[in-house]
Amino acid sequence: MSRQLLAILLLVGIAVPYRLNAVDGQRSPDSQPDRASQSDWHREFDDLCSKTQDSMTLSEDELSTLIHRCDALLPHIEQMDESTKKVYGGRLRMCRNLYAYVLGKKKEAMNHEKETEQK
Amino acid sequence: MKRRPNRNDSSILRFIVAGAIFCAGIATVAQIDLQIYLPKNPPPPAEYGRVVLDNHTPNGPGAVVFDHWLHRSKFTCRLCHVDVGFAMEANATGISDRTNHAGFHCGACHNGKTIVDGKPVFAACSDSKNANLAQDCLRCHSAGKQGVRQYEYSKFTARFPKAIYGVDWELAERNGMIKLIDFIDGVSVKKTPLRPREDFPLQTHYSWVHPITFSHEKHTIWNGCELCHPEIFPAAVKDAVHYSMFYNIEGRYCGECHGKVAFPLNNCRKCHEGAPLWAP
Amino acid sequence: MSKKLSIVLIVILVLCGLGPSQTGIKKKRPLPYEYGQVVISNYSERADLAPVVFQHWIHRSMFTCRVCHVDVGFAMKAGGTNITALDNERGYYCGTCHNGRMVVNGKTVFQACSRGATGEDALRCQRCHSYGLHVASDFDFFRFSQPLPKERFGNGIDWEKAELSGLIKPADFLEGTSVHRNPLAVQKDFALNPKVEGMPDIIFSHKKHTVWNGCELCHPDIFTGVKRGSSHYSMIDISQGKSCGACHVSVAFPLTDCQRCHSKPIA
Repeated sequence: MSRQLLAILLLVGIAVPYRLNAVDGQRSPDSQPDRASQSDWHREFDDLCSKTQDSMTLSEDELSTLIHRCDALLPHIEQMDESTKKVYGGRLRMCRNLYAYVLGKKKEAMNHEKETEQK
Repeated sequence: MKRRPNRNDSSILRFIVAGAIFCAGIATVAQIDLQIYLPKNPPPPAEYGRVVLDNHTPNGPGAVVFDHWLHRSKFTCRLCHVDVGFAMEANATGISDRTNHAGFHCGACHNGKTIVDGKPVFAACSDSKNANLAQDCLRCHSAGKQGVRQYEYSKFTARFPKAIYGVDWELAERNGMIKLIDFIDGVSVKKTPLRPREDFPLQTHYSWVHPITFSHEKHTIWNGCELCHPEIFPAAVKDAVHYSMFYNIEGRYCGECHGKVAFPLNNCRKCHEGAPLWAP
Repeated sequence: MSKKLSIVLIVILVLCGLGPSQTGIKKKRPLPYEYGQVVISNYSERADLAPVVFQHWIHRSMFTCRVCHVDVGFAMKAGGTNITALDNERGYYCGTCHNGRMVVNGKTVFQACSRGATGEDALRCQRCHSYGLHVASDFDFFRFSQPLPKERFGNGIDWEKAELSGLIKPADFLEGTSVHRNPLAVQKDFALNPKVEGMPDIIFSHKKHTVWNGCELCHPDIFTGVKRGSSHYSMIDISQGKSCGACHVSVAFPLTDCQRCHSKPIA
């Protein structure tokens, strides 16, 4: 009986802190978001969305990579609490859609050039 | 087992169908009944264009009576309805003593400083409780009160040429009897003027309706573009919308002005060439 | 069956009656301090509070459009963001600044949506949840707008000139929320040809728009891949809130100010 009790206590002792740390973005209702200690996903988000003003100068490959990285980060954000999911999910989609838009324009311009050359 | 037909269901259905047929019949008759397309007679010219503004403020100074004829002899429609921003419907602008004090609405000119015809325009909604100034309140808040207003219609308009109904404002302007102000410093903003538009014919839907040539040029000189477009006339393509007399009489399209302030819709010949001078 | 039929007939008759009453009349023009007002009513009434009345004019004098609509993440339509009190308490949306700590122009921004609001706190709720209530604001529009250059329509303020003269300094970065970006290369303005003959060409101020909005606000949601020159922006579409109308119907200068866009005179 005491061994079983010990095992249960050990399991609880491991599981509870794990659960608390599972979702980095979780904020307690009455506290401000913990922006100072940036977690991985937040750093990735900042890195991805910091390039929107450079999008016109990026190559097609660079834009495609950014789009893939956005697509990889989105499911991670979807796991977070409702507020974080709403805010960061929306912001990430905005950045991702901009890169896709610019990539589309570049491809269009490239095709147009090829057509004119052929003529 | 066969479901017994419910007597209530079928009688409701018969009622609905009969009602629909009746309404359709009325609509068909209305198509050929001219009375639906003819406006009612307007009030006497002195009262035409009168706007009563009443916010029903308890213990307030009373309703305002605004008669267009005085202001339209001095200003274009555009100045008040575009630059100052008055709505085209009574009580829709949201005028209050607060907005007047701040230099909006009536206070755009009625501020004791703006000069019109060589003299400053009296201030609207003055703060002071001075007894003399209370007279100025009554000049606007004149509903139901006698002898408080400065100008009287028949005396003021005596020298202007008359049309079949009221003053012929167009002729008065052509003869130089009135010079309409289109810009007030501090109210209007200087803009590169847009080119006045050309007149154009309007398609009539029925062959027996006399043709119309719409005086776009005159309208743009008095109203600018913004007064009518895009809210009153949204279509940029000619003949895209049928501006039927039914809508005009309702107060839409041409009726937004020509039912309440500009020459009334009864004056058929002003638009329809060769039509009777006045609606039967 | 006959009941369904009668309901359908009634609905058709009612809809026919409603149809014709929309066009051909001048709509009420919002007062200068009402222009740009957004009424948000997703959950307020459920919480026994009046709907929120958000005034653009106060905020746009302090922040660029991009800060709120890209960095903070507000939608461009009333109710589109789906803000909850919990979002605000967690420091998102309104709570990004309205947290009782952030200082803007020397003033501490009041906290939005705290739990267990006491009697005095409840008054604070009304500063936003004010629809239909007479609530005194910290900012009086008339005093605020008096020193600013005037323009017609909208708020009656020439916001561009106000910024150029340094009378307002909208911030473009919120520490802890905005992402550090490289400065944007200056975008070129370009001409758009109007469909209606005789109307002056439109000089689209791409440069100014990107300074205030960045790229993401407009692209691709508002302006998708339309080739320049193939005019798809009809005034009717715009007046219904599409393309330019996303902003220039109810927040930025309204469509009645034709010459603000149609500014290239015809030779």
